[in-house]
Amino acid sequence: MHTMRRSRVPYLLLVPAVAILLLGMGYPLIWQIITSLQEYGLAQQFGQPAPFVGVDNYVTLAANPQLWLVVGKSLAFCVLTAAITMVIGVGLALLMTGVTKTARLILQIALLLAWAMPVVAAMTIWIWLFDRRRGVINYLLDMIPGVEMNRFDWLASPVTFLLVASIIVVWMSVPFVAFSVYAGLTQVSDEVLEAASLDGASGWQRFWGIVAPMIRPVLSIVLLLQLIWDLRVFTQIKMLQDAGSASGDYDLLGTYIYKLGTSSQDFGAASAVSILVLAITVALSWFYIRSLLREDAA
Amino acid sequence: MRKMRKIGAVAAATAALVVLAGCSTAAPEDEGGQDITLWLMGGDTPDALRDYLKTEYADATGGTLTIEEQDWADALAKLTTALPDAENTPDVTEIGNTWSPTFTTVGAFTDITDLMPELGGDDLLPSFVEAGAVDGANYAVPYYFGSRYIFYRKDLWSAAGLPVPTTLEEFNTSAAALRTDGQSGFYIGGEDWRNGISWIFANGGELAVKNGDTWESSLSDPSTIAGLQQLQALYTSASLAPVNEADSTPWVNINDNEATGAPEAATIIAPGWARWSIGDLAPDPEDSTKTVATWNPDKFGVFVLPGVDGGVAPVFAGGSNIAISAASKNQEASKELLKIIFSEEYQTMLGENGLGPANLQYADALGDDEFATALIDSAADSKLTPAAPGWAAVEGSGLLEEFFGKVNGGGDIEALAAEYDEKITALLNG
Repeated sequence: MHTMRRSRVPYLLLVPAVAILLLGMGYPLIWQIITSLQEYGLAQQFGQPAPFVGVDNYVTLAANPQLWLVVGKSLAFCVLTAAITMVIGVGLALLMTGVTKTARLILQIALLLAWAMPVVAAMTIWIWLFDRRRGVINYLLDMIPGVEMNRFDWLASPVTFLLVASIIVVWMSVPFVAFSVYAGLTQVSDEVLEAASLDGASGWQRFWGIVAPMIRPVLSIVLLLQLIWDLRVFTQIKMLQDAGSASGDYDLLGTYIYKLGTSSQDFGAASAVSILVLAITVALSWFYIRSLLREDAA
Repeated sequence: MRKMRKIGAVAAATAALVVLAGCSTAAPEDEGGQDITLWLMGGDTPDALRDYLKTEYADATGGTLTIEEQDWADALAKLTTALPDAENTPDVTEIGNTWSPTFTTVGAFTDITDLMPELGGDDLLPSFVEAGAVDGANYAVPYYFGSRYIFYRKDLWSAAGLPVPTTLEEFNTSAAALRTDGQSGFYIGGEDWRNGISWIFANGGELAVKNGDTWESSLSDPSTIAGLQQLQALYTSASLAPVNEADSTPWVNINDNEATGAPEAATIIAPGWARWSIGDLAPDPEDSTKTVATWNPDKFGVFVLPGVDGGVAPVFAGGSNIAISAASKNQEASKELLKIIFSEEYQTMLGENGLGPANLQYADALGDDEFATALIDSAADSKLTPAAPGWAAVEGSGLLEEFFGKVNGGGDIEALAAEYDEKITALLNG
């Protein structure tokens, strides 16, 4: 009989991590909350006192239809991109379990290289690929009979702009999903699957009935991380804007905050939007944290 | 078992964090306060001039001058965050002339009124000096100017029987006549407001006016509207440039395209230093991956954008100011650098490279060729953007790109002007 002896050691081990988290993330967070309640512009950046204005920044933002448009676009972008990433990532993970060792190694190296590629370098290449004048994408599409893509400007309308952004973000995040899910798949015991196939379960049924439930914890955390990353996406959008247009129609939350803060020098309002993004992130994560708590209680 | 694994993971994460924290070390202290950093914007200052500054600075002070080039697109954000921070500020920085009022007003720069006589005093370009002054004290001073003028394909214009235009109307008509399916008569991006405002200025319009103590956006002013209508008609009839293109490198369009052997634009507007990129292209003898352009006076020419009733249209007065960061720890050394920049030798070098020297006494260095003449003629009537305290915020917000893009995209000018007047006025007063 194992007695529940409460040891202090685990808690002591947690102290350094919690302290560092509080220092590293608590300070900026508190600063951000305070700034979001202040009138904080360029003059304050250069040392003038910042007057408290209560929730003025939030009220102004709530009344701004452009903000809600950006929030809507960002949510749609993050949900769609994360979903596509998951489908392709899981597909590649399944492929890895099914192919020969050599093929798997090649696949893994290719994914690893894509994952290790610095964002700025990868973005530069992607922008060249989609270039209006000399891009390979237009060149190849143009060779298909009946398709007129010469000089098609992918970055000229918000829809194709976000499509390109989504393709790039998917390309960048698929390796992480594929590796995590593959790691999960290796833990699914062969005996169970063999038994299922003896009982006549098809591949599709084996995946949905056995594999997916068994790797559900991996799938849900990876999906959550993808949602959060795709909501906060910044570098990719910023670099595409530098190549195309930086006007408001092409903004997602990241670039919207950046423009509001560092470019238009309204740090108060920018902080308020950041707090909103934090709230959305917490809301997104809530279902996951709740299920985690339930699991722990069980 | 389960719990144990979790604790193990936390411990590993903690260790990783501690290692990461160890990586960030404090910046090294200055030695003797003589090593300074200069921020230059974009690639406009040629390498020879940069080397000159480094050598002269080392000779004068024994210190090292580090030149860091900033991209124009992100410069505003970088200046906003770096200038107030004594640890990270550049000691001396080039700054867009239109941003000078904003940063000067909030006290980002050192008062250099005492130094003015040594830098050239009244010989410095007055409109730029004014943009960097507050209440009679000088903070930012001109670095160089380079207003924009027209580069055109002589061969194409004369083949179409079109003379150099003498009025803006004639320019607009000729540009439209030169447009074909594969060639812009006049290449201008839809969001390119810095060039587009010439049509507003030429019609007597303004971007913003000061009423008493407050600035108001004046896009709805009838003169501004008239200019915007002309610009919209010109963009629609003469330009094949994307409607979402803002500042670009239009000279690639006026040179013969390597693939087709024909240019994509018969006419462009560009700053004077674009001449070094325009001409017949040939492989660079020193680097076979690059090409060099040799100006061919039979094929290419320049003229100044004509005004509504002839003469010269007021164009955007391009160029930069330069200032010492108030937060810099190396004030004296920074002043030494300014003295080198405003020396006769450096000012002459600026002129010889096609950059309008800040000290007008040395404007002769620009020479008397067609480029110098066009630069001086267009600069004479050039205009700066409004000196409102919030102007840098207006530029940073991207609202002007958005507005011009929507106008040139065929939008309802009066409705758009009213909409953006409201948005811009909110930012203008800082």
